[in-house]
Amino acid sequence: MADPKPSTDKSQTEDKASGFWAEYRQEILFISLFVGILATGFTLISWTPVNDNVIEPFTGLVAKASGWTLSAIGQDTHMSGTVIRNDKFAVNIENGCNGVETLIIFLAAVLAFPAPWKARILGLVLGFAAIQGVNLVRVVSLFLTGAYFPEFFDSSHTVVWQSIVILFGVLLWIFWANRFALPPAPENSEGSAA
Amino acid sequence: MAKAKGKGKKSGRAKTPSPPTTRAERQVWVRRLVVGILLWLVPASLIWIALTPIYNPFLTQATENLVRMTESPSVTRLLNQAPHHFLISRTDVPSPKGWITSVRVTDTHFPMVMMIAFFLAVPGVPWKIKLQNLGWALLFLIFFHLFSLFLWVKFVYSTQLGEFSMTHYSALQRNVWGLSKHLADLPFKLGMPLILWTAFYLRQLLPSRS
Repeated sequence: MADPKPSTDKSQTEDKASGFWAEYRQEILFISLFVGILATGFTLISWTPVNDNVIEPFTGLVAKASGWTLSAIGQDTHMSGTVIRNDKFAVNIENGCNGVETLIIFLAAVLAFPAPWKARILGLVLGFAAIQGVNLVRVVSLFLTGAYFPEFFDSSHTVVWQSIVILFGVLLWIFWANRFALPPAPENSEGSAA
Repeated sequence: MAKAKGKGKKSGRAKTPSPPTTRAERQVWVRRLVVGILLWLVPASLIWIALTPIYNPFLTQATENLVRMTESPSVTRLLNQAPHHFLISRTDVPSPKGWITSVRVTDTHFPMVMMIAFFLAVPGVPWKIKLQNLGWALLFLIFFHLFSLFLWVKFVYSTQLGEFSMTHYSALQRNVWGLSKHLADLPFKLGMPLILWTAFYLRQLLPSRS
């Protein structure tokens, strides 16, 4: 007589797999999309034609804006390509200092989150402006740190400001998801049953 | 407030309490989350600063073991250089300094501070569950740090040693190690706190879809 156990085991495994998918579908989809967009985005900006024609000119604009801001706050800075210098300190604005990494992380999180396209586009436009604003503060602050507190420059550059900019991107995403991406929640819990 | 109300659907997961459902609850929940993250950054930073002198030598030794598992004969030696670096040396690549290059280990794991703050700041989740989820996330993160440093060493071997790299690694291998290190060192290192947080708490942010 045939042993029915193997087919029972198989159907149990299938049930578990479909149950896992049903239970974690939102998380799996979000993380898969987020990781995929992140990897694609960073691979794309590493590609020489994109780097030379898009990222480098954009980094030049970030350097100009930073140099202009430093001059506006009384630092006697001069620009030479993407190098900003005064008599105390000089800094070269390179890839990695342009806020593009945070922008791609924010873009990946916005696109991976289930939301209407209108909300996504609004989020990306506002996010771009806000992240570039914070990045400008970062570059200016790092220049001032290098000029006046050079012993703190390395840690500020690699650890502190990188964390602040990424943290800002994540908090911005949480704000966007709650304020713009989700459908309006009912005013009270009775309405939420619908 | 969005405390556990026990009205979430029953399932094997069901550890994390139901997300906030009304507009007011959701706004309060997000506000508490953001304030909590900012407040938890301080103790999380202190924990990270205290653990770094122990964690860096551990990662150095573990990375050396992992690299040596992938080579024959075992020629790699990683020397911990407190407080933040390790030095890469190979017995078959002589160097006047005694080492080839240095890697700043601390830069690999500083996003851990953000992750600890994200996990501990989630409102309305019992402490036992918060700590349990954080423990799983930290375990995953340790493996990620190890893998990331492994890629660093392979990146150095395949692209930074001139003639040695050209002789021992094909163009494809150099590109694969270079890109892998680039992806692990920037996007995934910086995005990992968010990836792990959403793995445990995304549905708290998606009340209407839960």
